[in-house]
Parts: sequence; structure tokens; C-alpha cells
Amino acid sequence: MTIPKDYFDWAARLFDPARIHEKPEALAGIRVLDLSVIYFGPATGDFLGEMGAEVIKVEMPGQGDVTRILGNASFFWKNVSVAFFCANHSKYHVGIDMHRPEGQELIRQLAARSDIVIENYKAGTLEEKFGLGYRQLREVNPRLIYVANTGFGQWGPFSKGRASYDGLAQAVSGLTAITGEGEVPTKIGNYLGDWFGASMSAVGALAALRWRDRTGEGQFVEMAQCEGLVRAMDWTWLYAGLTGRDRQKVGNGDHVFAPSGVYRCTDGYVAVVAGTDREFRGLCRMLGEPALARQERFATAAARRERPSVAALDAKLAAWCRARSRKQVEAAARKVGVAAASVMTARDHAESQHLRARRSVWEYEDPVYGTMVEYGPAPKLSATPPRIKWAGKPVGFHNELVLKRILGLDDARIKELEAAGAIGRWAEGRRGAGPPEGWKGEGRLV
Amino acid sequence: MTGGASVPRAARVGEREGHVEAHADGRWEEWIRAAEDPGGVADKPEALDDLMVLDLSHGHYGALLTATYLAELGAEVIKVEPPEGDPARGWGPAGASAGGDGLAFVAEARNRYHLTLDLSKREGRRLLKGLAARADVLIEGFAPGHLDGLGLGYRRLSALNPRLVYVACSAYGQFGPLAKHQPPEHDLTDQALSGLLHLTGDPEAAPVKVGSWISAYGQAAWGALGTLAALHWRERSGRGQMIDVSGAEALMRYLEYSVLLYHASGAIRGRTGLYELAVFPYTFVPVKDGWAFVAGYTDPNFRALCRVMGRPELGDDPRFNSTIQRTTMENEIALREEISRWSVNYTSAEILERVLADPGPGVIVFGPMNAPTATLAEPHWWERGCLRRLSDPVYGELLLQMPAWRMTRTPPRLKWPCRPAGYHNGLILQKYFGMGPSQAAGLAADGIL
Repeated sequence: MTIPKDYFDWAARLFDPARIHEKPEALAGIRVLDLSVIYFGPATGDFLGEMGAEVIKVEMPGQGDVTRILGNASFFWKNVSVAFFCANHSKYHVGIDMHRPEGQELIRQLAARSDIVIENYKAGTLEEKFGLGYRQLREVNPRLIYVANTGFGQWGPFSKGRASYDGLAQAVSGLTAITGEGEVPTKIGNYLGDWFGASMSAVGALAALRWRDRTGEGQFVEMAQCEGLVRAMDWTWLYAGLTGRDRQKVGNGDHVFAPSGVYRCTDGYVAVVAGTDREFRGLCRMLGEPALARQERFATAAARRERPSVAALDAKLAAWCRARSRKQVEAAARKVGVAAASVMTARDHAESQHLRARRSVWEYEDPVYGTMVEYGPAPKLSATPPRIKWAGKPVGFHNELVLKRILGLDDARIKELEAAGAIGRWAEGRRGAGPPEGWKGEGRLV
Repeated sequence: MTGGASVPRAARVGEREGHVEAHADGRWEEWIRAAEDPGGVADKPEALDDLMVLDLSHGHYGALLTATYLAELGAEVIKVEPPEGDPARGWGPAGASAGGDGLAFVAEARNRYHLTLDLSKREGRRLLKGLAARADVLIEGFAPGHLDGLGLGYRRLSALNPRLVYVACSAYGQFGPLAKHQPPEHDLTDQALSGLLHLTGDPEAAPVKVGSWISAYGQAAWGALGTLAALHWRERSGRGQMIDVSGAEALMRYLEYSVLLYHASGAIRGRTGLYELAVFPYTFVPVKDGWAFVAGYTDPNFRALCRVMGRPELGDDPRFNSTIQRTTMENEIALREEISRWSVNYTSAEILERVLADPGPGVIVFGPMNAPTATLAEPHWWERGCLRRLSDPVYGELLLQMPAWRMTRTPPRLKWPCRPAGYHNGLILQKYFGMGPSQAAGLAADGIL
């Protein structure tokens, strides 16, 4: 395999992060009305926003999204929980009370001027409680793409009255039962069902957008987070169908690749996998035992995943890694073409020159919150790079801008709506809802 | 629909209005059920059925899955394999296979046309270029620069076809200080780099990986999302582009506040086992018949849980009466003990019944920790068409998970499962190159196919 000498220079120029903001955005001109809460919903909007869509986030006046107050005291920073920002970049924040008829009318008017609506209420809630379901909104906008995220879907035995969080999706999908080892369940440490579901729901939204680009037709798109995790369990179902058995838990091992494990180093943990024979020969060289690769019990991929072989290699790797730092293991593995990777922490991420150069760790300055360091968009697009423009804002921060620019309301009407309680911003003194202490109006747009 | 080797429908832009329309004024649940009826999928058009996608995944699950998602949404996907087949065909658990292929491959290599081409031979590369000149999307997961070295990278192919969207999957990406000489991409090492591994498991023990190859599923979601955004932009600009997707970064973007918390406070988010830094209760508890997940972390939801437990006074307990109090580690441990002492007396079905009978206010989230075969025993997934058994003429009896999305106008679908390497050589050579069976046989004899 020969890789051209200039390939990486060419790729670095093609994706040059210094030029991200000079380039166009893939979804410029697409407007998303985000009526959703917490993560599984706001993240769908966020991912479309990273690609250039204009996202209007609607929150209940006063307190706003519950992620603003998630966590213990250590999460509170500049008067808001750090948990709020990751699903709310570059959005316009409006506070509208959907319980009031005037608020519902504003939502209808915004939906009439939007391309995509996102919600994640229990099935049927927006239609039955607020008159803002798909059937009502498509009356005012036949081209609308309406994206509904739920736990179990819009219909079916489990959809009625049953709420969901990511952890429930982990449990009922069967993913928990194939994760970790032993009897006690292992809870996956992030809200995987929300995030994976949200990125899949964004895929569904854009597939619908492509259909609309071709035909002008809108449609209803739904994504259920439990079904998302069922979808993401590779061969689990096929295996159960053929054998009638449950896939066994193997911890950090792998049913296909051996060796596979996570090992303690002098300064943390490292993950090591060798899949192919070629990788395994490299691993043996790394361990200083090239002859191992010729032993019968290790000679083929099938032999290596026999239980005694797995245990023998596991012990060798554990001992070898124990005496080394994560960087030493990574460097030695790279030399021999073996995948070994530090188990990275948030500090490792924050300090990684590689991740910063790729804007996967993205540092920027926000007028309200100052310097921000966050995870940047995952896919890198050479011609239309996704990007972060600003951080999430207090509840109702952009009321005037949105209502004047998009709906053409004047100050008198806005005052009336405020007086009627149909629109509003953060309630004074409500933790998480308002701007940081000492804010003097920085970042205001109207 | 069975798994027969059906031929995809031609593009049906402008087809008659074929919406399955229930009574327009009926209840939402009835209406949406009819509008998404799994039995009516085949009568509806496909969102992406005007696209041709080349799947050059080679021993790379994330690249394979990226093409799978697009194939489920209607794209014509041609999987190009070396004459001996994609090495991923060997991937699966010991002691089980389908049609001689590994279950991991058979589960996901669906809806494709299987073409073999030896890209190490000039004629093989010429044919690949002929396809790429007409393709909308190309997806690959080789070591960065490998295809470039064969004259088949984005640099060369974009000159042949400026509208091409080219997706490259790898662990460290195509650029950045660690891009050169990077090791092969594996799910476990992606989970490590992403930081997800560091968050999963008990604080005193080693980190624990997610049991499925989740980084590949995430990488594919981002690959498909980037592709569809790029295709939308292509409608306006007429130009394609290159998309670089790392499986590690795919999961890293799912880590919520980890890096911001570090920036804001210097705290490094770690493993918390069955506890939680941000929300509680949000945990697994023992029940009479196994384990179950329970959550009720906002004030009204927590009070609902206390009510269902018959312990309303816990809602006022100073250790538990606010989200901030409930998320100190000491109080989380105490609260989980309280819930467990109650939950262990009932089966998960008994608790769920009480949860659903609670009149509110507040919402409790509860459900059993299912073994996969327990999930299979629940009618919900089957009624919704989330899982399906099929009897395939080539691969036999298969149980597969279905596409994740429901769409009222252009529902995604399974058309046929995996096929052997080169199964569609004749069709693709005839369709794209006008070559008949004798020419195909000649190419095969020369080792090109």
C-alpha cells in the first residue's frame, strides 16, 4: 500500500479549519422550528443547525428547557448548567407559552414559515393538547417536514402514555443485556439513546428534505429511541433468530476480534484490538514475542478467540501495558499497525492538538458566556463545513428579533403578547433561565 | 415482502398521490398508524431512489452501515468487493453463520447490488472509474490516502465527476496531527478515543465498552447526515464534496457536557456506575424478576415516583427535595437504596402497571432490562415492523432489525438481505457498461471480477 506523499497536505488544505467560516453552509436557507425539550429533540435541531439551518428554539417563558438546571452544584456556571449547551448551538431562542391560544397562533405562524418542525412530546400530545400536531400544521404549510421523536413511537402497544429516557431505551432494547459482564447491569455513561436517536432523526429529516427538493411534498418523520438502539445492535437479532439464544456478555472482549481488551497503564487505561492476522503479527512484535503468531493456538483468527487463547493473550497484554504509559502503548502499537488507543478523558480531549486542529474540540468566544470549549460537529464537509457560531442563550433572548424579522410584529403587538403571557423571557431569579451575573446586554440583537 | 431478489422500482417522481389516508378527522393514533402502516410500505415511493451509491467498504463496518442507511432510504447501492469477497464477510460470532457468511455482515449488508472488482488491476480500476463517473455518492473506509494512491481518491474522482459526494471513514480522520500512519479503525479503540469508555462502568473498576459496535452505527449516522446535507447543497451549487467521518469523533459528539464541564470547572467527568452526575433517580434497580430501569428526576416526576412507591414523604425529605439535593453522590446512594427496597418486591410488569395507572402530575419512566430474547417476546416491536423474520431464497431463515425511521410519504424498507460477492456482476456490467455474459466471463477469467 502506497500512500502518496502529498496526500495529507492536500487533505489539510481541503479541510483547512481556518477557512470554515469563509465557506457556504449546506442547509443555508432552511428554517427549523424546534419545539422539543431536553436532548432527544433539541439535538436533532442542533445537528441541522451545525449544517447551516436556522433553528428557532421555543421554550416555556420563565424556566425554559430543563437541561438549564440539570446536575448538582458543580454543574452551575455563569448561572446555568453546563448540560444545557451541547444541544443548543447557534439557535434563536424564543419564549412562547403553548398553553395560551395566542402562543399557539404564534407557533402556527412560525411553522407556516419553516421547513422542518421538531418535537419530542409523548405521541399525540401536540395535536390533542395544543392543536399543533402534524395534521394542524400541514394545513398552514403543506411542504412541512414534521419530525417527532419519542421513546416507543407514535403507535403500538407501548406508545400509549409511556414516557421514555435514553436509559429506558438502553434497558428495553436489550443493549444493556449485551453490555459489560456479570449480573449487575452496566448503565452506559452518556445518554446514548438520545444522541444516537437524534442523529438518526436528523438523517430522516434530510431524507425527507431530499424528497421535498424533488417533489415539493412534505411528510411526517418519526424516530423512536428504543427502536434506534434495537437498530444499533448489529448481529444480536440475527443470532437470536438462528439459535434461539441470547448473545453472551463479553465485557471488553469481542465475539469477532481477539485479542480485544482494556488495560491499565501507569497513567490510565488503554484499549487494544488486533483483528486480522496481519494486525496480530504486529501485536506479537510489539510484545517482543514474534514467535507467538506461529503457535497453533494463536495462528488463526478462529483459534485466537477460543477461550484459553483469549485468556492467555489478555494476561500478556495486561502485563505489558501495566508497565507503560498510555502514550508509550499507543506509539508502540502505531509502529506495528495495531489499534491501541488511550481511554481519553475530558481533559485529554481539551488538551488534544489533534482534536483542536480538527475542530472536534471547538473553542470560541460568545458575547454572553465568553470563552467556550465544546465538542464540535462530527462530520467534516470540505465545501460546506458544519460549524458552531454562538452558544445557547437565555430563555426568550431573541423574542424581538424572531417576532419582528420572521412574523413582522411591531413593538405594540409584542408588548400585548407579553402582557397576555403568550411570550416571555427568563423569570428573574430563576436559576438556569437567565443571563450570567453582571450581564449588561451584550449580544442583544434588537 | 419476502427477501426475493426484487428489482427496485424506477424513480417515481410525480407519481399519483398514494398516501394511505385514514379518516382525516379520526384520532391521531389511528391516523398515524394507517399513514405509517408497515404493510403499505411497498406501495409508496422512496426518498432517495434517484441516487447511485458506491459502497467501497472493505473490512469497515461504519462505511458499510453508511451505505446501508442510504440503501434503506431508497438509493441504489453497489457494493464493490474484491474477487475473494469483503473480509467483513467473515465477521460474526463463533458457531453461527448464514449462507456461509458471518452474522455481523449478513445482518447489515442489505438492499445492495454485489459487484466484484480487483482494484489492484488496471482494468478493475478502469471499471470503478466508470461507475464513479456516474455515481452520486462513494463511501470508503480504507486507510486515509490508500485509494488516492490507486488513483481512485477524491482528488481524481472529483475531476471525473465534480458532483460526486465522497465519504471517507477512519478513526483519526483525513487531516490533523495524528492522521498520518494511523492504525486500523476498530469499535473498541473508537469508544476509547471518544471518551465514552471512560464514562461507562464503576469508578473503581476498568471502563466498560458498549456491547454492540456502536461507534460504527454513530459514524454511519454522521456519514449519512453529511451526505444528505451535501446532496441538498449540490441541488443549488451543482458541486459535490468530500466528507471526513471519524468513528471516535462520532461518539465524542454524544458526550454532552464533558469537555465544557472541564473548561468551566476543571472537573473531569468519570465513571459513576449506576449513579449519575446530572440527573437522579435515573438508574437500574433490582425487581423480583431481574432488573429494571427507573427515572423521575425533575421535582414533579420524582414526587410521582414517591407516590407510586407509597412513600410520598420522600418527596419532602431534605436529602431528596430538589434536583440539586438528589444529585449529590451520598444522596443518590441513599435514594437508590430506598427505591431498591421497594422495587425488589414486585415484578417489572407489576411496577409498570402501577406507573401507568398513576394519574399524575409527573411522569415516571420505567421498564424492564430485557435480554434480547425478552425483547423479541414483546408484541410491540413486531406490530410496528421494527423486527422481521424472512425466508430468503439465498440465505434462508433470517431475523433482522428493520430501518429505524417511519416516514408517511417515503418509508424506508428492506428489499433483500445480503447476497454473495459478485452476485450482481452480470446486471451491473450490462447496465453500466453494456457488457454481456461473454465479456463478463472474460473479465472473470482475467481475475478482474
